[in-house]
Amino acid sequence: MDSSVNINSEIINFKQYLLSNTDILKDILSKLEKVSTKSREAFKSALTKDNRIDNQLLEINQSKTHGFAWFDTYRIGLRETLNWFTRLNNDNKSSEIDAAVTLFAFAEYLMQMRNGIMMSQSEIVRPSDLHLDDNDFEFMNDDSVRDLLEIGLSDKIKTVIVDSLDKDIHPSLGLNDETLDMIQDQFKKFTEEEILPHANEWHLKDALIPDDVLKKMAELGVFSIAIPENYGGLGMGKVAMCVVTEELSRGFLAAGSLGTRAEIAGELIRLGGTEEQKKKYLPEIASGNILTTAVFTEPNTGSDLGSLSTRAQLQGDDYIINGNKTWITHGARSDLMTVLARTDMNQKGYKGLSMFLVEKPRGNCEKPFPMEGMSGSEIEVLGYRGMKEYEIALEDIKVSRKNLLGEQEGNGFKQLMETFESARIQTAARAVGVAQNALELSLQYAKDRSQFGKQILKFPRIFNKLAWMAMETTVARQITLFSAREKDNDARCDIEAGMAKLLAARVAWSNADSALQIHGGNGYALEYPISRVLCDSRILNIFEGAAEIQAQIIVKGLLAR
Amino acid sequence: MKALVCVKRVIDYNVKIRVKSDKSGVETDNVKMSMNPFDEIAVEEAIRLKEKNQIQEVVILSIGTDKSQETIRSGLAMGGDRGILVKTEKDQLEPLTVGKIIKSVSDKEKPDLIILGKQAIDDDCNQTGQIVATLLEFPQATFASELKKNNDNTLEVTREVDGGLETVKINIPCVVTTDLRLNEPRYASLPNIMKAKQKKIDVLEIGSFDIDIKDRLQILEVNEPPERKPGIKVDDVDSLVEKLKNEAKVL
Repeated sequence: MDSSVNINSEIINFKQYLLSNTDILKDILSKLEKVSTKSREAFKSALTKDNRIDNQLLEINQSKTHGFAWFDTYRIGLRETLNWFTRLNNDNKSSEIDAAVTLFAFAEYLMQMRNGIMMSQSEIVRPSDLHLDDNDFEFMNDDSVRDLLEIGLSDKIKTVIVDSLDKDIHPSLGLNDETLDMIQDQFKKFTEEEILPHANEWHLKDALIPDDVLKKMAELGVFSIAIPENYGGLGMGKVAMCVVTEELSRGFLAAGSLGTRAEIAGELIRLGGTEEQKKKYLPEIASGNILTTAVFTEPNTGSDLGSLSTRAQLQGDDYIINGNKTWITHGARSDLMTVLARTDMNQKGYKGLSMFLVEKPRGNCEKPFPMEGMSGSEIEVLGYRGMKEYEIALEDIKVSRKNLLGEQEGNGFKQLMETFESARIQTAARAVGVAQNALELSLQYAKDRSQFGKQILKFPRIFNKLAWMAMETTVARQITLFSAREKDNDARCDIEAGMAKLLAARVAWSNADSALQIHGGNGYALEYPISRVLCDSRILNIFEGAAEIQAQIIVKGLLAR
Repeated sequence: MKALVCVKRVIDYNVKIRVKSDKSGVETDNVKMSMNPFDEIAVEEAIRLKEKNQIQEVVILSIGTDKSQETIRSGLAMGGDRGILVKTEKDQLEPLTVGKIIKSVSDKEKPDLIILGKQAIDDDCNQTGQIVATLLEFPQATFASELKKNNDNTLEVTREVDGGLETVKINIPCVVTTDLRLNEPRYASLPNIMKAKQKKIDVLEIGSFDIDIKDRLQILEVNEPPERKPGIKVDDVDSLVEKLKNEAKVL
């Protein structure tokens, strides 16, 4: 494309432009890979002491190295966005909005990579932090790249995106599979009929998601997705899990998160359990007869699980568990706890930890913990309601030796680590669902609301926000689905799963914030669902690995590669 | 007993319909398509009869392009046993043509019950069920809101008619068309979606039927519904009455 392209003329067709300039985008990706390698090597040599990455140096350079995690997250996000568009196009399924979103993503993220990436609202990482300088971004001065930037950042491209959204045409999911499409369709319908109309009421009443909704979800197979077929599950894999999770979370974060409980416990038992434990628990989890709850965090132990102090001591054939736990999601209405406790008092770190499968009678709001030795109180929270959070005390809880996961001590942390990849992917999908919900709510509001004699959708400050939301939601979704496909193919994807979670959580929050802004004062009123979505979205940057921990894991992984 | 359920792939009921710029029809590119909701009710009813052991097999038939296989598959995911696609490249067929094909399939399949939606939400013809019954010389019960199978090989069907509800008793084999209140179709569960992948769909070319598929009707033009004009305020009751009489001509 020659540089005389007039972006304001009507002739620009973004799909046509993208198709005839795909090589430029590919070239940008290969340039970015080189830039990334340069930064990584520079960090490696700056942080290496005695032939290994020095943790103290890493900590001193925490902000910069985390910035590198963000930089590479952007790079992988762009790569997967282009892959998504290419696949769609190969199947003749790409549309104008898909092309526009891809171009916008490239232009916007590229500019941020050169000028500064917002890790959070109060932290910007700049190229100099990453051992990079202007020369590394020289390729952005090529005419072809400058055209791309001009087109990708234009108001015109955002108008096209929002015109399309206005006609109910959203960026394609690109699942590329008839069965997955059908799953998406059914769960979209379920969410729209059974979840969305009630979500705000559940939130405002701080109620549990009703039992009959839980029952319907169990019948649809929500709890059995990841559990293997020979243990009563469907063995469907992570992509299907993401599709279901995104749809349910689009209705209500807690609805999408119910599956997470089954996923964490299911993966723990599937990967770490004995045959007997698998046979006993997996089919019951799959059918939804047993609801599980993860009991890991302690009042003084959050991200630093190694310092955990709950203990389990062997007495005869039983373990006696004592300790305090907190942030126990769905702690009352559940039947099986997965409890992380220290079995070896002489081992201070991760090595002394073991995982226990502790059965308990199901509680309710009036009587949350009807078990001797177990007590607790509810932690009232801003959002993420529907399952309730608890702080609990375990006092002389007796469990049989047979309920030690894998019947071997000292494996608790390792067993938990093995589930992190899946949990992160699933959490990224939850974030994408919340981000999509925010986009849809503000789109509807911007269509319905008129000021100064026209729909507010027509004002640039409004449609620019909407286009941004659609663009970032797409990037986050595609990096999430990419990790899920890698996981399904048994490829290692811990870094990409972390990237998906890191980006999707930021996108959910910024979408919710922009969406509330579009609502104006009404968005601040509890009766408008966006006020709930704002509260819900805030947790995504915290749980399942806070943004800071996530960046740390990513950069450690990148430096080890 | 065997049920033949006829389903049509139409634009999803949630989609805002857009007319093509040349006014030749409505936009279907990149538009979400689904099973006609009335046909979905028909599938649900057949499956419920099967769950009550009153039907042994539910066969799902669709006539359309290759993509209609997805529509059949979603019926199989609800609980249908097998599918038949009569394949055509034409994206619209008229009810008479569809009726003739259904008759032909029925002659071979010999179903005891042919059940389908009272109309499709795209062309709103409300003719296919009636035409099929006529061609097959089967009794028919249209606009069903309740359906019961009797022991004497008859069906008792409650119909929604202008004056209220009418209950008819018809002999099997018969044709039933379904109305909105007959049932609420289920969601296809994940296990059933997985099972549906294994179920068989026979694909027959429309050319293999000795049927003239030529259109009898010609579409001249398709237009958007006129936009609603803004209302006005009147000063007093007299001018309101005057306007209702002379402008709106409703008094």
